[in-house]
Amino acid sequence: MTNCPECEATVPNHDKIPGEVFPCIDCGTELEVLKTDPFAVQPAPKEAEDWGE
Amino acid sequence: MSEGFSLGVFTTIVRPEEKAILAAAEARGITVQRIDDGETTFGLDRPPGLPDVVLNRSVSHTRSLYATRFYAHYGVPTVNTAEVTELAGDKILTSLRLRERGIPTPRTIVALSPEAAMRAIEEIGYPAVLKPAVGSWGRLMAKVDNREAAEQILEHKAALTSPVHSVIYVQEYVPKPDRDLRVFVVGSAAVAAMYRRSSDWRTNAARGATTEAAEISKELGELSLRAAEAVGGGVLAVDLMESPNGLVVHEVNPTPEFKALSAATGADIAGRIVDYAVDVGRR
Repeated sequence: MTNCPECEATVPNHDKIPGEVFPCIDCGTELEVLKTDPFAVQPAPKEAEDWGE
Repeated sequence: MSEGFSLGVFTTIVRPEEKAILAAAEARGITVQRIDDGETTFGLDRPPGLPDVVLNRSVSHTRSLYATRFYAHYGVPTVNTAEVTELAGDKILTSLRLRERGIPTPRTIVALSPEAAMRAIEEIGYPAVLKPAVGSWGRLMAKVDNREAAEQILEHKAALTSPVHSVIYVQEYVPKPDRDLRVFVVGSAAVAAMYRRSSDWRTNAARGATTEAAEISKELGELSLRAAEAVGGGVLAVDLMESPNGLVVHEVNPTPEFKALSAATGADIAGRIVDYAVDVGRR
């Protein structure tokens, strides 16, 4: 596990994969998995204007 | 799976959809090359070690446009193709193609400057819907109910310096039930459909709309397939509204999300996408 870079809450790495985006369960900040061994996260990239489906 | 075959998965971020796709590929014993759209570079000559097919799951329209062009240049097929990405990723080009193919779509007028947009809005009538040509999730869309509201929105558009904001896509507001329809098309099949309900006039799942499985009637399936084929076909989500005059297609999405649709219908959409991409890679 690691800590949220925004609120320092514990972030478990259950089945996470590199690049995965998920919200911190404490503060809701969107986090992105940098690597899994050792587990590290960073704030997810901000939504850009041309993002979409 | 034939030895050496590999599936490229081109991503910006890994959402539940991409995770499901990677899991579906692994379950099928397919070798996956993950390609990060923010990390990779493209030269003019084909590099070694490319996958047999690239499934584009980038959320960036700009990156998708160039990447699919480069893979085509290297002789690597993509899902969707560069042409489909370009057409379906741009609401203006999509509207043109839908009209060319006789597919019912809301009345639309495009203005190339905020000044001209006022005339377009007045011609469409109130309420009118303003959308950016590129983008989704209901972002930067506006429903204008009267001239005063239109003037305020256009004043804001004029203040934005990017030329992109000067192009205004104006569409009639379709008086529909509190829901729209999304049909997921993979190749020649409409694989799942759902209603998206919201008290907001925008029914995007990303904006909190609730979802419910919808039956794919003959009319709905045929119209969705025609809309998907109109933009070139592949993996596409066709969005439709139930207008007083029947179904109208208002969007065809080229890198569609499907978490909500899979949950509502139980359909294995990730598996269908992977199977389709592998078929394309083996053609």
